[in-house]
Parts: sequence; structure tokens; C-alpha cells
Amino acid sequence: MDEKYDVIVLGTGLKECVLSGLLSVSGKKVLHMDRNSYYGGESASMTPLADLYKHFNKGECPENYKGKDWNVDLIPKFLMANGQLVKLLIHSGVTRYLEFKCIEGSYVYKKGKINKVPSNEKEALSSPLMGMFEKRRFASLLKFCDELDENNPATLKGIDPNQTMRDVFEKYNLDQGTRDFTGHAIALYTEDSYMDKPCLPTLKKIQLYTQSLGRYGKSSYLYPLYGLGELPQGFARLSAIYGGTYMLNKPFEGVTMEGGKVTGVTSEGETAQCDMVIADPSYFPDKVKVVGKVVRCICILNHPVPNTSDAQSTQIIIPQNQVSRNYDIYVSCVSFAHNVAEKGYYIATVSTTVETDDPESELEPAFKLLGPVKEKFLSISDIYEPTDDGSESKIFISSSFDATTHFETTCDDINKLYERIMGEPFDFSKIQSTVDPVDN
Amino acid sequence: MANRGSHKPNGSSPMCQFKLVLLGESAVGKSSLVLRFVKGQFHEFQESTIGAAFLTQTVVLDDTTLKFEIWDTAGQERYHSLAPMYYRGSQAAVVVYDITNQDTFARAKTWVRELEKQGSPNIVIALAGNKADMANKRMVEYEDAQAYAEEKSLLFMETSAKTAMNVNDIFLAIAKRLPRNDDSGNRQRTQGQHLEDKDRREVKEGGCCSK
Repeated sequence: MDEKYDVIVLGTGLKECVLSGLLSVSGKKVLHMDRNSYYGGESASMTPLADLYKHFNKGECPENYKGKDWNVDLIPKFLMANGQLVKLLIHSGVTRYLEFKCIEGSYVYKKGKINKVPSNEKEALSSPLMGMFEKRRFASLLKFCDELDENNPATLKGIDPNQTMRDVFEKYNLDQGTRDFTGHAIALYTEDSYMDKPCLPTLKKIQLYTQSLGRYGKSSYLYPLYGLGELPQGFARLSAIYGGTYMLNKPFEGVTMEGGKVTGVTSEGETAQCDMVIADPSYFPDKVKVVGKVVRCICILNHPVPNTSDAQSTQIIIPQNQVSRNYDIYVSCVSFAHNVAEKGYYIATVSTTVETDDPESELEPAFKLLGPVKEKFLSISDIYEPTDDGSESKIFISSSFDATTHFETTCDDINKLYERIMGEPFDFSKIQSTVDPVDN
Repeated sequence: MANRGSHKPNGSSPMCQFKLVLLGESAVGKSSLVLRFVKGQFHEFQESTIGAAFLTQTVVLDDTTLKFEIWDTAGQERYHSLAPMYYRGSQAAVVVYDITNQDTFARAKTWVRELEKQGSPNIVIALAGNKADMANKRMVEYEDAQAYAEEKSLLFMETSAKTAMNVNDIFLAIAKRLPRNDDSGNRQRTQGQHLEDKDRREVKEGGCCSK
């Protein structure tokens, strides 16, 4: 502990572990500490189930849930098959430690029922979500997005990237229902402000969805066996292989500062020196502000989600317009097929951005889709953002995980932090193929 | 990770892949044992990390090729910060101690208990008393370690990464004890896919060495 490090990282959530790994690979001397005895912080997977009961102060775990097979994510998310996190896993070699499965079904809620999200031209043409002519118009929007290359003006087909998305929907003559599932179940916006912003980012999000499709299986989404907690562990191992030092169960007692700049981190009476600190918001309550709240409810089921063709994994998106809200409600369901529950059990987590002072009842439309629930674990979490960018203090703080169902915004935050820390944007080519296993 | 599928490279003998983890106190010679086994090398002042995801080595036993995927702790054992991922799906473990240091033997026993708790149910565990070339400084008696290994049904050998004594032998002994068919009960429940930089990637077949 009494040593000098380039960077001290506090907390082993996914963002902190990815940054720790990238910095170790680039030659920085990293000390990585967590006050918890387990990896993952807010993004941990709880195992055994008794730990989840303890985490939620729910008393004694029932006898029939005492097996070793449970790994329950505190924050549910899926990986986009062609998204940034998958690229990072492949380029860093961390994918070698992990195994993934494709999420079987992606559904969108319309008028009290759920329907499969049409994700290519063919599915669009057979989807019950749209009438005959609407289908053709929607299919041509998908095709346009899939072929779009912003560096090749011909592929823009007369659309100005600065036009609003509302204009583009008008141009394709798409009705409100189609706009709802395109914006929320394909472009994956949590609310509707994208409609009046320049269309290019939205078109690119639709493209990410269509290009994620079929990449590793039927849907656009992936999930790691044994739960999302495997992701931070994998990046922590990358960091350790490149010389990073790991200490769990290490109480944090504060930082030492000199001239407004961090110089060290104190734990158990000892101070390790460093040039900078990276931390999750829980380590610096005075340096973060609350920007919103997320309500999440982990539900244990002993059956698949009804009306999903008995899928062992599903995502359901309830667009805000459908239930007169500002933010969408999400259901993410995984099961024993992913080694996160005992045989025959499913874990469906319902979440949304809080809008009222009765968050649990905001989730009601989603609970209605789940059928009988064995056990519920409800949490309401503040979303924190750092109050400054860390350039003065050299204390770089990540943002809390938001309500989105995928890791794209998580990766955006990692990229932003990386650029602030290193003074240059993250470049995949810098870590490419550096961690090949030695094969004989 | 777990139970990799069996496949026949170029129609030759069937191949089984196993995950093997190394455990033991820092500086007992874990990495040196693997480097000796995999590369036939020994460095007096081995750096404390390897810098590879894992090392692989194959052994041929009867008409079967076994491929070990060997995971080093990467130093995460030093402050008791090994991730559950490390143990996940491992079918074999080598718990290493230093025969010239009694404390490392006590720690080895702790690692064996940890494996009983966190490891796969049918994991094959070998105990290696390393640095056997330094017998003049011996602090752990051969008989004591052997008695402990017998009590816990572990494979046991004293080894020297420096002279290569018993290094290949201990891995071969593990190979002999590893189950090579589907009836072993060691079969993992679920198979996933590793992501690769390809447009499509086939899902690996389940089971191990189904001939």
C-alpha cells in the first residue's frame, strides 16, 4: 500500500474496471480498490441468493433458493451485438474469459399487448404492428438506415443530417405507433426529445440495431453466462495481467490533496500516493449531484414471460406514449439458461426513470405482463453525475448507471472519462491483439 | 469457459479441452511451473505476471489429446482478490506451496478449502510442493504434505520448476484423472459462445469428448 501509483481506482463497477484495464494496458501503474468484498459495485451480480436477500434487507432466504446457481444482476442491461462494449471485449481479448448467449426475443408493447420488434425488412412485412402500406414505408426506412454512410452523400438520399427526426418520419409518412417503436424499441431512446433534434444520431442508432442483428444469433442483444458481474471481473483480470494491483474489502478513508490536486488515497491508516484517482460516485458524495432516479424491481418467476413463445430470455419495451408517461418502462428477462438461476427459474427485472412519488406503481403496466411473481426486490436509486470534470483535482468520477437497457451510454461515459484522463480520445488500435494467449 | 466441446482437428485423435487454475501464495513458483511445463523455460527472476490471457499446452494420453487452458492468478491472490470468474468452470487445479516455507503450506490448505467451496464439484486437485531443488532449506516435510494430500484425496508431488523435476509428471497425472466422457457428471449445464471479430460465429457443441 505504501507505494506510488500513477492511478488509484476506487470501486470495481464495470466503468472503473474497463478504465483500469485500459490504463494498465497502456503502461500505467494502477492500484484498484473496493470497499466491498466482491467485484462489481452497483453492477455486481449477487450470489448466492441469500446475499440478494441481505442486500435488500429481506430477511432469511427461503430454503428452496439456497442452491449455488443464482447470479442476480443488480442492474439489468444487454449488450448490443455490434455495439461499443462488444468491440472493446474483442479488441482487449477479455471475451476469452466469457461466454455469451443471444437474447431470444425483443418485444414492444402496443395497446396492452406485446409484439415482436420487427428488425429487418422481412419481419417488418409480416409484423402485426402495422398495416399493409405502413409496413412498406417502415421497411424502406430500415433499408435506408442500414445502407447509410454519412461520408457518402449519395446514401443520404436527399436527407439533410441536420433535419429533425420528426421531419424524417414525416418524409417516410410513418404513423405515431410506428414512430413509437422505431424511436424506443429500435433506436432505444428512453424519452421523446430526439424527435426535434438532428436526425443523424437517430439514424445511426437504427443502423446499430439492424447491424447488430444476426451478428451472433437471432436478436441484436447478447448476455454473458453467469450474469453481468462477469464483465467487470474480466476487465479487472485484464488490468491485473498488465500489472494492476487488486485489493477488495478495503475501506476508503479519504484522499490527500495538495494545491487543489489529489496526491494520495488513505485506507486503514496508510496512504498510497498517486497522480490521479478514478472513482464511482459513491466514494465522493460531495463531488456529485443527483440528476434523476431509477426504479428497478427484480422479479423471480418460475415460468417464462407469457406471450413470448416460452423464450428463455426476452426484452420488452413499453414506449412512454403507450402508457402516457415521459419515460419508457423496460423488462429484461434472463433465466437458468444463462446460469443465473436455478433450473426452471427466470429473473425478470422491470425498470424505468422515476416520474412520480410512487415509483413502484409506475411499474404496474410491466408487472401485468409478467404473470405470477414468486418474489420481488424493489430498489429506487439516485442517478449521480460528477459536479466537475476532474481536470483541476485529478479526481475523475463516473456517472451512475442510467435506466437504458443496453451498454451504449455506459461506453459513452467510459470514452468521455478516458479522454479527460488521458487527454486524447480512446483508440481501439492501441489495445488491439495485445493480449493473445500464448498458444503452443 | 468451462467444458469446451470436443473436436477432431484434421481427423486426428479426439481433443478435450480443460480449464486448469493455479493457486498458492505469491512467489511459490506458480508461473515458473507453468512456464516450465508450457515452454520448457525457467527464469531465476521470473516477473510476477505473465501478460497473457492464459497459456495452453496439450498432452497426448493413450489416443486422446488433452488441451490444458492454464489460468494464472495474475497477482490477484496477493490481497485475496481473486474473482469468482477465476474458479468458474475449472476442471483441474494445481495448488502450489514452497517446501522451504511453512506458511505457504498453511496457505495451500486454505486454497484447497476455497476450491471445495467455489470450485466445480468434481474438480481434480493436485498439490505441488515446489522448489524441491532447495531441499537443504526444507521446512515442510514430504510425509506431512503427503498425509494431508491423502486425507483430502489430492494428487501430490514435490516439483522443481528449476530442474524440471516432476513438472510434466504432475500435469500428466492430472490428465489421467480427468474424466473424458459425458457420464462423468462434470458436464457443465450451458454452453455459450465466445465473441470473435467475425460476422458470424458458430455456437460450440455441448459435451466433452463424445467420441
